[in-house]
Amino acid sequence: MRINLVLELLDVPGQLVKILEPISMLGANLITIIHKRDYKSDNGKVPVQLTLEGEQESLKKVVNRFEELGFTIIEMDGVIKKEKITTILFGHIVDQDLKDTMDRINDLESANIVGFDIKLDGEEKSTALINIEADVGNKQIVFDRIEEIAGEKNLLVINEV
Amino acid sequence: MDECKVIIMGFGSVGQGVADALSMKKDLIKDKTGVSVKIVAAADSSSSAISQDGLDEELLVKTKKEEGKLSAYPEFGSEKCGVDVLDAVEYDCLIEATPTNIVDAEPALSLTFKAFEQGKDVVTSNKGHLALKFREVIGAAEKAGVEFMYEASVGGSMPIINFAKDTLASCSIESVKGILNGTTNYILSRMTSEGSDYEVILKESQELGIAETDPTQDVEGIDAACKTVILANSLLGIDATYSDVKVVGISNINSHAIELAKKDDYLIKLIAEVSHDNLQVSPRLVKRGSSYDVSGTLNMATIKTDLADEVSVIGLGAGSLETASAMLTDLISILKNKN
Repeated sequence: MRINLVLELLDVPGQLVKILEPISMLGANLITIIHKRDYKSDNGKVPVQLTLEGEQESLKKVVNRFEELGFTIIEMDGVIKKEKITTILFGHIVDQDLKDTMDRINDLESANIVGFDIKLDGEEKSTALINIEADVGNKQIVFDRIEEIAGEKNLLVINEV
Repeated sequence: MDECKVIIMGFGSVGQGVADALSMKKDLIKDKTGVSVKIVAAADSSSSAISQDGLDEELLVKTKKEEGKLSAYPEFGSEKCGVDVLDAVEYDCLIEATPTNIVDAEPALSLTFKAFEQGKDVVTSNKGHLALKFREVIGAAEKAGVEFMYEASVGGSMPIINFAKDTLASCSIESVKGILNGTTNYILSRMTSEGSDYEVILKESQELGIAETDPTQDVEGIDAACKTVILANSLLGIDATYSDVKVVGISNINSHAIELAKKDDYLIKLIAEVSHDNLQVSPRLVKRGSSYDVSGTLNMATIKTDLADEVSVIGLGAGSLETASAMLTDLISILKNKN
């Protein structure tokens, strides 16, 4: 079988070799590789497009190895590999510097706020729903950051199971 | 063993449920185990009925319902209560159904230890002693060489402890996540379906008898936290006690939060999480249509295992006969082991 992957690499020397090694080592064949260094994504990383062929098991191992090596797989067979995280905060969200709350989540390298919805109740506590997009495997980092902010600002967090 | 004499301590909803269930299932138990079960004593908080020749299950329930106390039981009514009842009659198994006490676990703790000392098996629906002193209680049962079963303490009729231990015996349990409190699930479900405020639904639940007059144990997550401790100890081998659980209740959940969650296809549920790095009870977002999407007073749990991956169970988490069903199942397994 074949899979198409899009990885993100840091723009530093030696990155491309690092991704080629596990492919042959784990029994997969490289069919296509497209590496355009003059194109960078918003976070300054360079995307690499790969098509691999092999047994399902070997391909799985290669993907796992890429993740272990810290490469972000942003797309696999056309499916975006970003995770969507939804959380609800309850408390004095606006009074407790809403901009700071959002900045501190956006500051995480692997996460971006992509949606925000708030219900205000006069002077009472407000309720906000935040949608965050994070690289796969980074959910816990995002949760930890939210917990940290909520702890400081005395907000109730309702996270996903 | 062809006869098993039991004492029922605690004769509220659960104790009466056990008496009712026994009267319905005596023949079935005899068929399955070859043992006839006989109630030789039953006690409420201030009195009891005691007879070595056996008491009538239906008359016990009728007496308690009509007269308010078991001392009114014809001929065999007694003023004895508490641990004294265990000395008053010969018995084989204690069915302990006193109310949960999360401060000092009494009277369950003294009753249980006394029964162990006397070399008797114990079936309990109580959470207090397990949440506060799990290791100590289990240790005492092992030392005494008696059986101690507590399926009814978590999830009422929903099978989980014996299910995970026996039916999933080949697997290691990595985590358990679920809804372990029916009252809060009922309140949150109705807030979701009706868009009403927490206070309104809580009041209605109290009127319906689903929530207690003092709802603290349920709505502040205390009940679910006790069950978290029991699952952590019994299924994951974590030496935890009540104070190790991070607990947040549902009293801060408003209709805004539920509305916002709904927009993104989520529901808010009070979820207990039991894993090696997290013991927590808190309101969480769950996807509509997922296994966590159970409403009303239902309980559910998803058990994550190493071999079988995820297995989920759903069932009624409270109720007189429902809880009694779990206690009788425990009694039947004890009887089967004996014979």
